[in-house]
Amino acid sequence: MNIIDWIVMLGTLLGIVAYGVWKTRNVSSVQSYLLGDRDLPWWTIGLSIMATQASAITFLSTPGQAYEDGMRFAQFYFGLPVAMVILAIFVIPIYYRLKVYTAYEYLEGRFDLRTRTLTAILFLLQRGLAAGITIYAPAIILSSILGWGLNITIFFIGLVVIFYTVMGGTRAVSVTQKQQMIVILGGMFIAAIILVYKLPANVSFGDAVGLAGKLGKLKVVDFSFDLNNRYTFWSGMLGGVFLFLSYFGTDQSQVQRYLSGKSLTESRLGLLFNGLLKVPMQFLVLFVGILVFVFFQFNTRPVHFNNANVAKLIGTPLEADYREYEEAYNLVQEEERALAEQIIAANRIGDEAALEAARAASIEVTAKAKNIRQSVEELILQQDPNSKTKDTDYVFISFVTTFLPVGLIGLLLAVIFSAAMSSTSSELNALATTTVIDIYRRSLVKNKSDRHYLQASKLFTILWGVVALLFAVVADLFENLIQAVNIIGSLFYGAILGVFLVAFFMKKIGGRAVFWGAILGEIVVVTIFLLDYYEHVNIAYLWLNLIGCALVMLFSWILETIRPQGAAAV
Amino acid sequence: MIESDNQEELDDRPPILYSWNNLYLLVLVAHAIIILLFYLFTRAYS
Repeated sequence: MNIIDWIVMLGTLLGIVAYGVWKTRNVSSVQSYLLGDRDLPWWTIGLSIMATQASAITFLSTPGQAYEDGMRFAQFYFGLPVAMVILAIFVIPIYYRLKVYTAYEYLEGRFDLRTRTLTAILFLLQRGLAAGITIYAPAIILSSILGWGLNITIFFIGLVVIFYTVMGGTRAVSVTQKQQMIVILGGMFIAAIILVYKLPANVSFGDAVGLAGKLGKLKVVDFSFDLNNRYTFWSGMLGGVFLFLSYFGTDQSQVQRYLSGKSLTESRLGLLFNGLLKVPMQFLVLFVGILVFVFFQFNTRPVHFNNANVAKLIGTPLEADYREYEEAYNLVQEEERALAEQIIAANRIGDEAALEAARAASIEVTAKAKNIRQSVEELILQQDPNSKTKDTDYVFISFVTTFLPVGLIGLLLAVIFSAAMSSTSSELNALATTTVIDIYRRSLVKNKSDRHYLQASKLFTILWGVVALLFAVVADLFENLIQAVNIIGSLFYGAILGVFLVAFFMKKIGGRAVFWGAILGEIVVVTIFLLDYYEHVNIAYLWLNLIGCALVMLFSWILETIRPQGAAAV
Repeated sequence: MIESDNQEELDDRPPILYSWNNLYLLVLVAHAIIILLFYLFTRAYS
């Protein structure tokens, strides 16, 4: 990488960190550290919410997904604005009225201490493991692209985040996230402009969009009702509302963002700002992937985007086969290029017959290219059976490092690192807050000074940071670790959501029923998981979210009906 | 956990459109328009 790119990347990242630390140098109370003095304006809250949700993997994977699968992933976010409105109406006023630090604190008033402690521990387990993956997943891609060691990349991201999160607490998280989000959005916008600028002289922006459309990449909305189709209007609107209600309403890493608002108004506006901007932002990120797709119709692309995998073949007896496939792939790309030009020419004059002929031929050539790519993947697996051959996460970053001008490479790498840091800092901050407020101060070490809890908050931030780093470092040793983390998340997330839904909407149910309802629900979920694991039943783990949530609500209702206790006054 | 005794803080008005209901409607209508534009985009280019 050029020295200018290094200066831009490190200058941007460290500049943001220095600004965050300087702005939060006077944080001296536990309220200030964990809730940022509740003085943040709506735009900072909104950007902070967006930055927390958008991890580095979002900006690495999403353009690659559009490149491979088109724009339909945008529908995944269709339920988000509706969820933001529901939270603004029903949930934020409750948290504000009770002046809580954490979402779980509310559960003590509504139910009892043990329900609060149970949900807090479930959150800590799930988010503690996920924080390691938030660092590990982009580090594995960035280390491959930059040629850095994996552990160096993990420590670079982790230590910088731990430093400023410990120094300034939640305020540092929000202040840096605002800058990071500006860099992220600006960087993606500049990438889109450069991609348009880099199209061949005889291909206009309209031609490029027309070509992508004719090649089936621009189907944003699909109204068909098909339960097997992961991304449709209905799955986005129905499943999405449910998913985003639970994520934004009960996950402390998000709740903490809007609880640090200056007032209820600012918090509501921050959530609504997210509701307005999130879908267009995802559209922009996906559209960058489409532009990368069109760009590679006219420019030579590698047969496999992950250079680290290709390097495994070089110097081995399989290299000759690889070179053959590479040559064949380059020839197929020339055919693709000619057909792309034919499609554009036919589209310009509206010649439907010529358009259809070129499109049909293009589909055939694309299938040929896919076969060659699969053959290369088989070679990689032959050389190293543990390799991960899915390379779509590398498409965008390969384009960035190969085709962007000096300076912009550094800026786009800063975008990816910023995204990794912004989501990790929220997670560490939320983990420390939940540990101190819901466990340490409430049940373990009571009635100490504010200074004591401030120091404890800083120590727990370091502790969770170290846990995340260690987990990220050992993640490489376990092949299916990311899936394991997702499974652990699915085991607990449903129960947490179930408890909150009972709290919000089943007002007559008391603490005893919901606590035992949650325990029973969790036992059934774990049993179903074990039955599936030992192949007695066949249930995909994502369904455990829904099953866990429904069971907690059902068991709570049954237990309350059998032995009524009644709800607390809240 | 302390209950807020400042009811004004909880009853505040949005800075635009006079009421929260109007603002919620704005977000939902804007979202509907975005989906409609996506649909027209899909129709135009597929």
